[in-house]
Amino acid sequence: MKSKTIGLISANYSSTEFGDLLDNRSLASLPYGGRYRLIDFALSNMSNSGITTVGVIAPYNSGSLVDHIGIGTPWSLGRKNGGLFVMPGSAYGLQSMGSRFLLRDIIKCKDFFEKDDADYVVMAGSSDVWNIDFGPVIEQHEKSGKPITMIYKKVPRGEDYYGFFLNIDEDGKVESIQEEGFSWSNYFTDCFIVDREYMIDFMSWYGTLEYMDAVQIMRDNMDTMDIDTYEFKGYLGKIKNPVDFIEVNQCMTDYDIRNEVFCNPERPILTKPQDEAPVLHQADADVRNSIISAGCRIEGRVENSIIFRSVNIGKKAVIKNSVIMMHGEVGDGAVLDRVIADKYVQITGGVKIYGTKDAPVVIGKNKKI
Amino acid sequence: MKKKKCIAMLLAGGQGSRLGKLTTNIAKPAVSFGGKYRIIDFGLSNCTNSGIDTVGVLVQYKPLILNRYVGTGASWDMAVTDGGVHILPPFAGETGGEWYEGTADAIYHNIDFIDMYNPENVLILSGDHIYKMDYNLMLNEHLDNNADLTVSVIEVPWEEASRFGIMTTDDKGRITKFSEKPKKPDSNLASMGIYIFKWKALRKALLEDHENDKSSHDFGNDVIPKMLNEKKKLFVYRFEGYWRDVGTVKSYYDSQMDLMDDMENINVFTKDMKVFSNSNFYHPQFLGPNANINSSLICNGCTVYGTVKHSILGSGAVVGDGAVIEDSIVLPNAIIGRNCKIKNTIVNEGVIIEDNLEVINEDGEVAVYGRAKLSI
Repeated sequence: MKSKTIGLISANYSSTEFGDLLDNRSLASLPYGGRYRLIDFALSNMSNSGITTVGVIAPYNSGSLVDHIGIGTPWSLGRKNGGLFVMPGSAYGLQSMGSRFLLRDIIKCKDFFEKDDADYVVMAGSSDVWNIDFGPVIEQHEKSGKPITMIYKKVPRGEDYYGFFLNIDEDGKVESIQEEGFSWSNYFTDCFIVDREYMIDFMSWYGTLEYMDAVQIMRDNMDTMDIDTYEFKGYLGKIKNPVDFIEVNQCMTDYDIRNEVFCNPERPILTKPQDEAPVLHQADADVRNSIISAGCRIEGRVENSIIFRSVNIGKKAVIKNSVIMMHGEVGDGAVLDRVIADKYVQITGGVKIYGTKDAPVVIGKNKKI
Repeated sequence: MKKKKCIAMLLAGGQGSRLGKLTTNIAKPAVSFGGKYRIIDFGLSNCTNSGIDTVGVLVQYKPLILNRYVGTGASWDMAVTDGGVHILPPFAGETGGEWYEGTADAIYHNIDFIDMYNPENVLILSGDHIYKMDYNLMLNEHLDNNADLTVSVIEVPWEEASRFGIMTTDDKGRITKFSEKPKKPDSNLASMGIYIFKWKALRKALLEDHENDKSSHDFGNDVIPKMLNEKKKLFVYRFEGYWRDVGTVKSYYDSQMDLMDDMENINVFTKDMKVFSNSNFYHPQFLGPNANINSSLICNGCTVYGTVKHSILGSGAVVGDGAVIEDSIVLPNAIIGRNCKIKNTIVNEGVIIEDNLEVINEDGEVAVYGRAKLSI
C-alpha cells in the first residue's frame, strides 16, 4: 500500500455480563483460544496488513492488558519509527459498557492523530475474533474518495447481535445506522477507516458531544455524512457473554474456521510468547475435539474444550464443553461440563460442576473449589 | 563497561556426521529435540540460569537454521545491553581466511572477541549436550581452588570408562593424569567437555598451541595435556545429574524418550532451571474427534486426527486420520498422511509422508526418515 495508514484500537470498554471474568480486566485482555487475549486479533490484523504505528486506548484497569502487549514486540511494533502507543482512556474508573468509540477517549488521543502524517486511520474495537487483511479495504477507501469506510458483515436476519447495523444504498453508501436492530442484516464490525485529517476535524465539530460514541454521532448526523462500506466475508466471532465465550472458543475446533483464522500462514494471529513445555498426554489420557496449549499435563478425559497453558488434569477427571484458563488444576475424578474457569482455579478431586448451554458456570480467578 | 566474571564460548560448528540424515543440512546444535526445543537450548538455558549473559556461539557447518534460531538471544533472556549472544563464524583477515581447525583453534581465532569483554574466566561449552547444570557451582569451586582450569566430570560405570576421556585426580580433586579412551582406566571420572579457564592462562595456552605445527588444536588432545605437563593447576568439578552427549541416532532417540518417560531425567515442566526455546509462535494444538493419544509429548501447532502412542510430535506436525504413530519422534512441521503406520522412526523436519505409507523399524532399532526441509 502506497498511502500511509496508522491504527487505533479501542480497549476501554467492558461488559457486565461476564461476572468474575471481567472483575479486573477489560474485554480486550480476556484470555481466549488457549493462548491468546482478545486484543491479539486487532493487533495482528493491523500488523499483518503492514500497519507499523498503532495506538491503544487503555482501560483504567490496564494491568493485564499492558502486561500482555508490552512494547508490542510480538506484533513487530517494538520499533524506533512508529510502533506501539498505549494511551490512557478518558477518565479513571470510567469504562463504557457497550460503546467502542467514545468520542471523549478519541479526543484524549488527539496528539496521536496530529503528530503523524498518515493519510488514513484504521479504528478498531478489541474484542472480536476475526482475521482480516486491511489492504483491500484501504485500497477501496482511497478509491472511493469518501472520508469514512465502515466494515460490515452480513448476518442472518433476526439474530440477536449487539451493536450497530447499516442500511446501505445500491452504491454501497451508508443511508442510515441503527442500534441493536433485529431485522437488519448488515452488521457493523466495530471497525472503520477514516481520513486522519477528517477525524481531527470530526473531534472539533462534535467536541460538545464527547460523551457519545463516534458511531452514534455519525448516526445522528447522517445528512452531513458521506460513508462508504466494505463487506467482510470471513468469520466474525462476537463475544458478548459467557455463552458466546464458550461457543466462539469452540469455533477453533471447526476445520474451516481454524484454517481461516488461526492457520493462515500469510496472516498469523500473533501473541505474547510464553515458553512452556510440550503437552504431556499420559497413559490414560483421552483428548478429543479440543484445543490444548503448551505445558499441560493430562491424565483424564477432555472433550470439545479449550485448555490454556500449564493446566494439570488428573486421573479419571472429565472436562466437557469447557474453557480452563492457564495454570488451572483439575483434581482426580473431577467432572466439569459447561464451565469457564479463570486463571489459577483449583478444582478439588471428585468435585462435579455442571453448567448448561444457556448458563455456563463461571469460576473466578484463583478460586479453589 | 562492567568487567565480566565469566563469559561462555559455545562450540556449535561441528557437523555431527554420526547423526546421519539429521544433520545433512542442519548443524547438530540446531537439530530438533524433545518436540519444541533444539539441542542448543540446553546449553544456552544453562547459561541464562547461571547468570551468564555473554555467550559467543562458534558456528561453521551449515549454520543457517542455527543463526536464525539463536537470533539476538532474546529467547534466552540474553538480549542485554552490555553482553548478549554473538554468532561467531570463521572470518578473513589481512592474509586471507581460515576455517576453524579444531576446538582450541576456534577459540584462538576469537581471542579478540574475548579480549573485548576481558573476562576473568571463560567457560567452554559444547552445543550438543542434553543436561541442566548451574555453572555457578562449578565457577565457585574453580575460584576457591584458584585453578587455571576446571574440568567438569561425571562418574561413568567402570566398564564404559574406556569410551571416554578419563581424569585421574588426587584426593583434593587436582588432576594428575588425563587419558583419552584408556584401555585400562584407573578412574571412572569422564570429562564432559565443559571447561572453565582463567582467561589469562587460556590465552597464553592458545597462543602457544597455535605455534605448534604438530598440534591438532583440540582441547582434549592438545591444550589440556600440555597444561598438565606444565604443572598448571587443573581441577575437576564433579557433576551429578542427567547428562547425555547425543552423538548418535540411537543416543539422540534414547535421550528424548528419557525426557518423555521420566521427569527425573530432564524436567522441562519446572520453572527451576527452566529450558527456554525460540519456537513459541505456534497456535495451540488441535486434537480431532477421533484422535487417540497416549503417553506422548505433543507440541503447539500440532494437528492430530490419528493415533499417537509413546511418541513425540514436534511443533507444527500433522497426523492424518487413521494414521498410527508408535515409539517414534516426528520432528517439527512434518506431515504424516492418512492411514500411515510409523514405528520406531525419527521423521525428519518438514518431511511429508504420503497417505497409506508404512515406515516401520524393528524393535530395538531406529532410523531417520527423509531429508530435512528448511523453513522458518
